[in-house]
Amino acid sequence: MNVSLKETLVANPWVMSISSFFNSFAGMYVAQSFCHSLIAAVVTNQALKAWRIHDPLVSQRFRFLIILFPILSFPFYQMINPDRGSTLFRLEALFDINRWLAVEIGGLVPVALLFLLLLALTSLIFFFQEMVPVVRNTLDSRQPDEDRALLETGPFLENAAQTLGIKTPEVVLIEDDEPHIFSATGRDPAIFVSSGLTKALDQRQMEAALAHEMGHIARSRRPLLIIAFILRIIMFYNPVVMVKFRKAIRDEEKICDDIAVTLTRDPTALASALKVFYHKIDEPPEPQTSSRPPKGSIEEYSHNLLLESRIQRLESRSMDRSTGWGLPFVVTLLTIMVLNYYIV
Amino acid sequence: MNKTFSGSLAFALVIAIIVILLKIMNWVPLSLQQETIRRYGTVDEVRAALLTKDLSVPSYFPQQITWPPSLILAQGKPYFASVMEFTRADTGEIALVISQSEGETLRVEDPIEITVIKEKVRYAMRGREAMLTVGTCRNDEPCSGITWQEGRYTMTVLMKSTPFELTKIVESMR
Repeated sequence: MNVSLKETLVANPWVMSISSFFNSFAGMYVAQSFCHSLIAAVVTNQALKAWRIHDPLVSQRFRFLIILFPILSFPFYQMINPDRGSTLFRLEALFDINRWLAVEIGGLVPVALLFLLLLALTSLIFFFQEMVPVVRNTLDSRQPDEDRALLETGPFLENAAQTLGIKTPEVVLIEDDEPHIFSATGRDPAIFVSSGLTKALDQRQMEAALAHEMGHIARSRRPLLIIAFILRIIMFYNPVVMVKFRKAIRDEEKICDDIAVTLTRDPTALASALKVFYHKIDEPPEPQTSSRPPKGSIEEYSHNLLLESRIQRLESRSMDRSTGWGLPFVVTLLTIMVLNYYIV
Repeated sequence: MNKTFSGSLAFALVIAIIVILLKIMNWVPLSLQQETIRRYGTVDEVRAALLTKDLSVPSYFPQQITWPPSLILAQGKPYFASVMEFTRADTGEIALVISQSEGETLRVEDPIEITVIKEKVRYAMRGREAMLTVGTCRNDEPCSGITWQEGRYTMTVLMKSTPFELTKIVESMR
């Protein structure tokens, strides 16, 4: 065997390890699920724009495509065509991520390493921003609190629960000067309201805020939603899924706004209630008067991000209902399926 | 209905643009890096493009095998790997596959696969220890394969034939 003329052709062991990983089933799954979710995200966004779909309930269904499709796409395609992983198929594919992963920036840093770092960073963000708060929230809500004070809400809550077909939740008062409201959606649902919020809102606004939380409790009982939220964990490393999952949560807020408006028939009450939280963001941070951390971090995070657009939406009363979205949804799904088959 | 139609048209247009962009994105690494995996026409092209003389080619070919290879795929990065397919002169079907790689072997479509292994023995070849596998492929065709380590490369030669022809080919590889 002749000696190579070019020393650089001698592969680095760690570069080879990364490359071997991306050639393994697990590596191909990770890389292709990322590509498939990216394509699904681009296609879905374009579909929502093209068919002018603004209804959050429908937008959310489209976004679940991005979250759920990449979980199964790679094994599904491999089942249809086991030769899809062959070198020749990859060469003739529409897009082959391994080509990019093999590129070395400046002849030194492989793109594959940067890609792995991106996945690792996403995993860390997922763990600390999503998993830890959810686990903490679950553990906190399991602790019985004998001394908790209940807030009197009148007949509104019972009527709303009856309309939504759910058990009337307890409304628990938390001693905290900051305005907080969130719900625990377990077997015994409850809405937690801070004393700061009870001072900031009048009765009309409070009913609107409670109706919004009732929306969350009602929606948390939908099996499809529960499955989607659990399956999302499989894609913990996927930055596209992370972004789209957060957008789906924002959609959830708008869906619950719509439920609240249906219950109260007063969009301005909810809009003005939301302004209490909105103004809190603009103001300089005040010293914490309570050591109790806010619960439901994901929910609160999405509240803060989307308050302005939610308020605008409620004030302009542009809560349009999309009809006839079935065909666009099927066309979008088929487009995503066909395109991604040729993305390896 | 009108909204749906105009929406569908706009969507189709955007998808066409996405397909074109993906094609361009797929081409960019090829233009950025010569060593990216690609198809070559001849063995000399591989040697010239990847600046290597390491590519092993047999000097002996049985009459029924056609030269040059019907398919040559090679890459220089992240590690050197190549695969060559040779067809049978009479039927045109793939009869010989030679793979050489520093890492994972490149996978070809519809590879020669020994489905029933009849014998697996160590084989001494030019001072190197190889593993010779004899068996049958699909349709009960006699098939054999040999794999060995040549420096930093893993060499694999698979052939739809008895081991007699295979070992002669392998012994002639330089």
